[in-house]
Amino acid sequence: MREIFQYVPGTSLIHRLNPMTKLLLTLLICVAAFLTGNLFVLLGLLLVNLLIGFCAGIARRTLGVFKGLMKIAVFLFLLQVLLTRKGTPVFWIITDEGLYTSAAVVLRLIVVCMPLTLMLAVTRVSDLANAMVQVAHIPYKYAFTITTALRFIPQFLEEMSDIMEAQTARGVAFDKAKGLKKLGMMLPLCAPLLISSVRNTEHTAVAAEVRGFHLRTARSGFRHYPFHGIDVLTLLAGAALIALSAVI
Amino acid sequence: MISFESLSFTYQGGNVPALKDICLTVPDGGFLGVIGPAGAGKTTLARAVSGIVPHAYRGDFYGSVKVHDMDTVDTPLTDLSRCVGMVFQDVDSQIISTMVEDELLYGLENFGVPHAEIPERLDFALDRVGIPELRERAISSLSGGQRQKVAIASVIALRPRVLVLDEPTGELDPVSSRQIFSLLKSLQRDFGTTVIVVEQKIMLLCEFADSLAVMKDGALAYQGQTREVLTHAEELLDLGVNCPRVTRLSRHLSDRLGKPLPVCVNLEEAEKQARELMA
Ligand SMILES: Nc1ncnc2c1ncn2[C@@H]1O[C@H](COP(=O)(O)OP(=O)(O)O)[C@@H](O)[C@H]1O
Ligand SMILES: [Mg+2]
Repeated sequence: MREIFQYVPGTSLIHRLNPMTKLLLTLLICVAAFLTGNLFVLLGLLLVNLLIGFCAGIARRTLGVFKGLMKIAVFLFLLQVLLTRKGTPVFWIITDEGLYTSAAVVLRLIVVCMPLTLMLAVTRVSDLANAMVQVAHIPYKYAFTITTALRFIPQFLEEMSDIMEAQTARGVAFDKAKGLKKLGMMLPLCAPLLISSVRNTEHTAVAAEVRGFHLRTARSGFRHYPFHGIDVLTLLAGAALIALSAVI
Repeated sequence: MISFESLSFTYQGGNVPALKDICLTVPDGGFLGVIGPAGAGKTTLARAVSGIVPHAYRGDFYGSVKVHDMDTVDTPLTDLSRCVGMVFQDVDSQIISTMVEDELLYGLENFGVPHAEIPERLDFALDRVGIPELRERAISSLSGGQRQKVAIASVIALRPRVLVLDEPTGELDPVSSRQIFSLLKSLQRDFGTTVIVVEQKIMLLCEFADSLAVMKDGALAYQGQTREVLTHAEELLDLGVNCPRVTRLSRHLSDRLGKPLPVCVNLEEAEKQARELMA
């Protein structure tokens, strides 16, 4: 859980793509998923996601994320199927249309969530921020906000698991609880953690300021992010996905 | 030169002053150790040198602090930070990036260090702090001690004229702590860097610091050359500052013999003194 947004070092073709290409491809896949309602196109997009993960040499992470999303998906699917009234019944209160649209909804959810975590696994957050500033001329302030948020997620999760461990040691049965019950036990911990996170970000803002935050310009970055032929090809493939899902 | 002139500071919302009437000077290229019990104001003193107090932490500020002729109140924080590098006590709140190399690059990029010079600066900082193998690692995967070293390296890489470190060895083992102090000493020697370090390990301060400032309740209880301050061993103990055993030994000896002896700050000196006395 803690590693879900963490960068996995590597030298695959996917790793070496321009960070902006990876960001754009992520967005293109998401848009494609929203454009189509066709189950087969959605399945195709899912396949594309898995393929990207395998090509980048992060098969284990990819499958881990997929499995995690599947758990939520199954729950949502059941809920949706039971609530849909339209269409002809096939079994008990379940209708054919309910089955079809529910499958489409959860598939879309998976297809939208996967590329985001995959992108963060193959892109350093700082490269993403720097490329946004250098290539897309996004003000550094905004790029910094994104990097800081992403930096705090692992720390937040780490503190959460520290607290849970401490509570378990005092006899609170965190480890035995499952699902909603566990969630109910975790929620009260979130408020103090959020407060300490906000305090931490204040300190981090000071730390950034004394290391020249206000002096940073689009030309400050040491690393450069040129576009190569492979970037163009990747984006064309992304555009093709959009066209495909818009047509079918 | 760094000079405090009757500095008093109370944090906004605080009811007691965190610093009271501090008068202190540190010469260029000096090495000052700051020690004292928790809540004595050591961190606030360090923040006052870097200008974080009063620029980022507001409050009632009386007196003045001058760093290389810049008055910290009148000079913008960004200008001060070109001159003063600071390692925070809470390392996690100092870290900005997710990867070790990026953390070192951050300040170098912002302060406009020529790109041709950056690789050498990176190697220098990582090697001297002793973490070249951590370069490509994610910071969230590091131990507390390793993070502390990353924070130190990211400030060392900037080669500031003044280096302020707030308990930089809090999470380090004795070997690494010594290594960091040796590094500070070599920066002082090779680049003329002025070093101000808040530290609880008195033994390290005795060995490396030129002068000591002992704080208590926001005030300076003792200050001066390291040896001179150490002659107050008993008073220091009352403040919770435990002098090294060798120092106490030479004090005991001089009491017993009824004649003043020079204070020893390390084992070699104590050995030499004992041999001379026995001869
Ligand atoms: N951000 C702050 N806001 C208000 N009071 C503070 C703040 N930081 C420190 N203090 C207070 O200032 C005093 C000195 O603290 P500090 O400089 O952190 O001491 P030390 O580093 O020696 O432990 C303490 O009484 C502390 O409660
Ligand atoms: Mg402190």
